[in-house]
Amino acid sequence: MCSLRLYPAQLQHTMSQRSERRGIHVDQSELLCKKGCGYYGNAAWQGLCSKCWREEYQRARQRQIQEDWALAEKLQREEDAAAYASSHGSQATPRSQTSQTPPSLAPFSKFEEKKTNEKTRKVTTVKKFFSPSSRAAPKKDSHEAKSHSPSFPRQLSVDSERVSREFVEFLKNLQKPGREIHKQSRLFIESMAMKKDLGADELSECVQDFYQNMSDRLMSHFKGSSEKVERVMDQVEKYIMTRLYKSVFCPETTDDEKKDLATQHRIRALHWVTIQMLCVPMDEENPEVADSVVKAITDVIEMDSRRVPRDKLACITSCSKHIFNAIRVTKGEPASADDFLPALIYIVLKANPPRLHSNIQYITRFCTPSRLMAGEDGYYFTNLCCAVAFIEKLDAQSLNLSPEDFERHMCGQVSPRGPGEAAPWPHAGPALSQLRRNLELLSSLETRQQQVMDGAHSLQAELSSWQESVGREVQEILEKYPLEIKPHASAIDADNADSDLLPPPLQPQVFAG
Amino acid sequence: MTAMRVDVKVVMLGKESVGKTSLVERYVHHRFLVGPYQNTIGAAFVAKAINIGEKMITLGIWDTAGSERYEAMSRIYYRGARAAIVCYDLTDSSSFLRAKFWVKELQTFEEHCKIYLCGTKNDLIEADRSMRQVDYHDVQDFAEEIGAHHFETSSKTGNNVDELFIKVALDFSNSALELMRDEKGVDLGHKKDSYFYACCHH
Repeated sequence: MCSLRLYPAQLQHTMSQRSERRGIHVDQSELLCKKGCGYYGNAAWQGLCSKCWREEYQRARQRQIQEDWALAEKLQREEDAAAYASSHGSQATPRSQTSQTPPSLAPFSKFEEKKTNEKTRKVTTVKKFFSPSSRAAPKKDSHEAKSHSPSFPRQLSVDSERVSREFVEFLKNLQKPGREIHKQSRLFIESMAMKKDLGADELSECVQDFYQNMSDRLMSHFKGSSEKVERVMDQVEKYIMTRLYKSVFCPETTDDEKKDLATQHRIRALHWVTIQMLCVPMDEENPEVADSVVKAITDVIEMDSRRVPRDKLACITSCSKHIFNAIRVTKGEPASADDFLPALIYIVLKANPPRLHSNIQYITRFCTPSRLMAGEDGYYFTNLCCAVAFIEKLDAQSLNLSPEDFERHMCGQVSPRGPGEAAPWPHAGPALSQLRRNLELLSSLETRQQQVMDGAHSLQAELSSWQESVGREVQEILEKYPLEIKPHASAIDADNADSDLLPPPLQPQVFAG
Repeated sequence: MTAMRVDVKVVMLGKESVGKTSLVERYVHHRFLVGPYQNTIGAAFVAKAINIGEKMITLGIWDTAGSERYEAMSRIYYRGARAAIVCYDLTDSSSFLRAKFWVKELQTFEEHCKIYLCGTKNDLIEADRSMRQVDYHDVQDFAEEIGAHHFETSSKTGNNVDELFIKVALDFSNSALELMRDEKGVDLGHKKDSYFYACCHH
């Protein structure tokens, strides 16, 4: 905004020149600043001159800032009151962040002022616990505002907020160490936000180091009660990974996405693999087994929608339990690994879970190590890894097929339902027969339509021939009985008065008299 | 199967139908499977706590698929295992050859894993000596050579089964004192990178 203010006299000169040339006539009063300061205005400044516009703008802005402030203060007060009422106020963390967003538009000095303002107020309340978090919040906010990246949303998602709240709720029971845990976790999340560009392995290392440090400290605090440590670590993992999920799941620095697609294509190409080829002891005709299979498929697909590694693992475990149930119902005895692994492979092939590779990588990188290595969840996860490895390497031999058969299957030359083989999909049985019935119906409809069309054609031909014959008949009759128009006998020709036909003219009778 | 804290990972390796599952089943539930039963839904993973002195040690026992088609994947299974029970069928010499294969694999890739050789179906031998195809002394020699322990068990009678698993727990308890001091129980730190990649990545 360079303040080039022109006096009317100056401008008039140039204007008059121009208007002479172009023939534009503008009333001079329309060009003046609306404030009436005597300078010219500009449409871009709402008809004001630059100086008046700037004044006006500043005023509006100031008003806006004041309003925002008032709003923020009000929210804060409400929040404090609510916190007091419940004597906890766990909601303070996420809410205070949002309420601080508007003032961040204000000049920075003001912002600082507000921050200190808030700090002092906070300390006087019982919410000492939250002071590190709320103090940290604006710092993070301003950082995010500066490096506005699309991959890191400024607003916390509903999920994150809920998890944060639960985390705080949980830590409250721990009192003093809880505060420390919360602070450390927050600091860690902030530090991770700066490390977005690191490779996946480095990110994993950071998180694992954090887990290790945290659990070491907890271990010494709880004096070796590993159960307590584990319980806290579960919450820490949940909180951290929910917050970091977006930036560390399938990061751009890796080729995870490419591999996801490759796995997906691979599984799709193997759609023809049957339960018999894999020697899976599952009888899908049995409704209970079929039900378990469907549940297992649902669970393994569900994995992708979870954020916390532990929750993802829980999906795998649940899927595995359904498989065990299916095998137990079929065989009448508990499943061993010899039954379980092929069944899992079959389920993965049928489910084609989304982003399978990414999910496995994510769990491997960010799960608390003890769970992955030894426990039950770890066992099922390992089986899933095996299943994926098997699917990637699967060849003719692993299905007891000849290489030629395998190739033909892969090219889609042989349908999954080979002769003598049972349908691979029991649910597809009725659907397929329905399909066939429909096809038959369609073809019979087609022949009937053809008949109708033929009938219509012959009718048309008949009609035209009838028309012809009628025409011909008419013609014949016309020829046989030509129309002769005979002159009318009684016609009187006025011009031919002498005609014989006319009675003799009346002669005047002379009466002698 | 509850979410018990597991201290030590024990993998069961061995050819199909050598009786890995029966061995675990006998040890954990003290029974031998004849005919159908419905009590447990799966015997693939079990956690079992043992008292060793004053300590409670929980064994997480991992059953593995023995079929050759999954051989390439077995490495994923035994990663991080503290003990491996390599089973072979006393009445089937080919099963012992396969056992040797796993021993070699373990020695190459999992040096912290203690190996236990376990000949199964001892009851069949006792009923008929001519059934034996794997000589006791041959295996004993092999075990000494590789620094492994050697057991002959019968899941049917329960012979030697408890002894085997108690030995596993005892050894772990003793070695844990030295090994766990500097490794903090689970040393995923330097292994996690290879956890999945080594086998699934090609």
